Amino acid sequence: MSAQRTAQEEDPVATLAEGLSIWVGKLSDLVKKVVDTGPIRNVINWARMYSLWPVNITTACCSAEFGAASGARHDLERFGVLPIGSLRQSDLIVIEGTITKKMAKRLRVIYDQMALPRYVIAMGDCAMSGGLFHDSYSIVNGAHEFVPVDVYVPGCPPRPEALEQAIIMLQEKIRRSKVYEQG
Amino acid sequence: MSAPPKPVPLTTVESTETSDSGAQTLTLSVGPQHSGSGHMRLIVEVDGDIIVNVSPDPGYVHRGIEKIIELRNIIKSIPVIERPSIIDASNLNHAWVRSIEEIQGVEVPRRGQYLRTLLNEMNRIMSHLYWLSIYGVFLGHTTMFMWPLGDRELFIDLAEKLTGARITYSYLVPGGVRRDLPPGFAEEAVKRTEYFEKRLKEYDRIFFNNPLFTSRAKGIGVLPKQKAIELGCTGPTLRGSGVDADLRKDEPYAAYPELDFEVSTRPDGDSFSRAMVHMDEMRESCKIIRQIVKKIPSGPIRRKAPIVLPRGVAYGRVESARGECSFYLIGEGGDKPYRARYITGSYRNMAAIPAVLLGSRLADMPTAWWSIDYWPVEADR
Repeated sequence: MSAQRTAQEEDPVATLAEGLSIWVGKLSDLVKKVVDTGPIRNVINWARMYSLWPVNITTACCSAEFGAASGARHDLERFGVLPIGSLRQSDLIVIEGTITKKMAKRLRVIYDQMALPRYVIAMGDCAMSGGLFHDSYSIVNGAHEFVPVDVYVPGCPPRPEALEQAIIMLQEKIRRSKVYEQG
Repeated sequence: MSAPPKPVPLTTVESTETSDSGAQTLTLSVGPQHSGSGHMRLIVEVDGDIIVNVSPDPGYVHRGIEKIIELRNIIKSIPVIERPSIIDASNLNHAWVRSIEEIQGVEVPRRGQYLRTLLNEMNRIMSHLYWLSIYGVFLGHTTMFMWPLGDRELFIDLAEKLTGARITYSYLVPGGVRRDLPPGFAEEAVKRTEYFEKRLKEYDRIFFNNPLFTSRAKGIGVLPKQKAIELGCTGPTLRGSGVDADLRKDEPYAAYPELDFEVSTRPDGDSFSRAMVHMDEMRESCKIIRQIVKKIPSGPIRRKAPIVLPRGVAYGRVESARGECSFYLIGEGGDKPYRARYITGSYRNMAAIPAVLLGSRLADMPTAWWSIDYWPVEADR
């Protein structure tokens, strides 16, 4: 009886852990504040905005213009955009065109598997609102129905220049945002 | 440059032991997100690293185009039927307008026919170049990704001059084409095709005669002649297996009967043969383009055609970049078709994917798979 009461009232380990968690919590708040206000934020955002690696997922025919944009003439790599196969190393999804109901589930799985921060560009009219196929029985009208979208690119298909502009807009968005609120 | 090493006979590395769980094979799901390109999934069963069973899982881009065509009038359908193969838009468009003209009984003026053929051949080159660049991605050859996409822009500029759009033209309409040749087009086309033929020699040097490619493609993914015919393959896949079948020769349409070109076939049926058929076709297309700008007759480019589709049935087919593309069209007197059955080259060639992959190694899968030139958007429609 007496031993039990001692454990409840004066357990030194529990007291220490409780105190520590409050203290660590306060410290992490402090770290966030320092990172987000100081020049550290600029450095982190600079690193993020010039290494946007899109995951190699193609959903429909806009992939032809995405290919042209990554190719020799337009060369997205000068903006730091390098298409890559591994989704664990990538931080951008370019949704290239129509999303069918079958693909939407897989796209959401891919989005969930990517590491934070992650960004989404919805390319083409179909990814914005269904576009040319808005009355089809098998498509999702817009990417925003299952993933949060950062930049929309209109066009059917958009020219590579439009995609370049979208990349620059996304970089600008990253530059202005706070480090812990991205993705 | 040393000779490529001889392949290890499969019997020496085949495992006869079973794993702890008793299972002898492993099922892998490749796609729809994979390190190549193309939004399809292959369910691959491997024993060690030998592929014993493959079943394709298409339908990730099925947009119900056959149904959408029934809801739009025949002119508004043109952009829709172009979208499945956006890199080969004009050939698909041609199949559509051919089937409409067959029901309507409209004759296309000769200049219109030549302009259609011109855009078709430019599209064939663009499509093959896109295929080649993705082949570079599949094989990890970055130069071969960059070069064809850069040279593709030559023809994109040319098509933009002619039609006003980069890749989606909607240029062919029932009765003819929308726009005439712009001034200075012929000289520009000759200049660009001649430059491109020089570039093709460099492609041979860096890729097609390179052991990096030949050792990975020769004897890989063999599709014998008889098998290719049985599976109903078309286009470069069929010609790569030694079958001389090309609709441009067998059932000449548009301006093809008046043009001089050869159909390229290769007897081996492996990935290398199919790649070389693509290369030969690009050379032939350059020749055709130069002939067209030289021989093109003067006259009207378009004859007035009604927007109404009379009662009747038609089957229009063309040789697109990936094989035979056809429309089976039923009209019922309105401006919309009653039914349109739409079959493309990739759809026909899908049956060849398991055939070329069975028995090969998992590491050879990208080479064999992409040599079929399977464009999922076109197959799913």
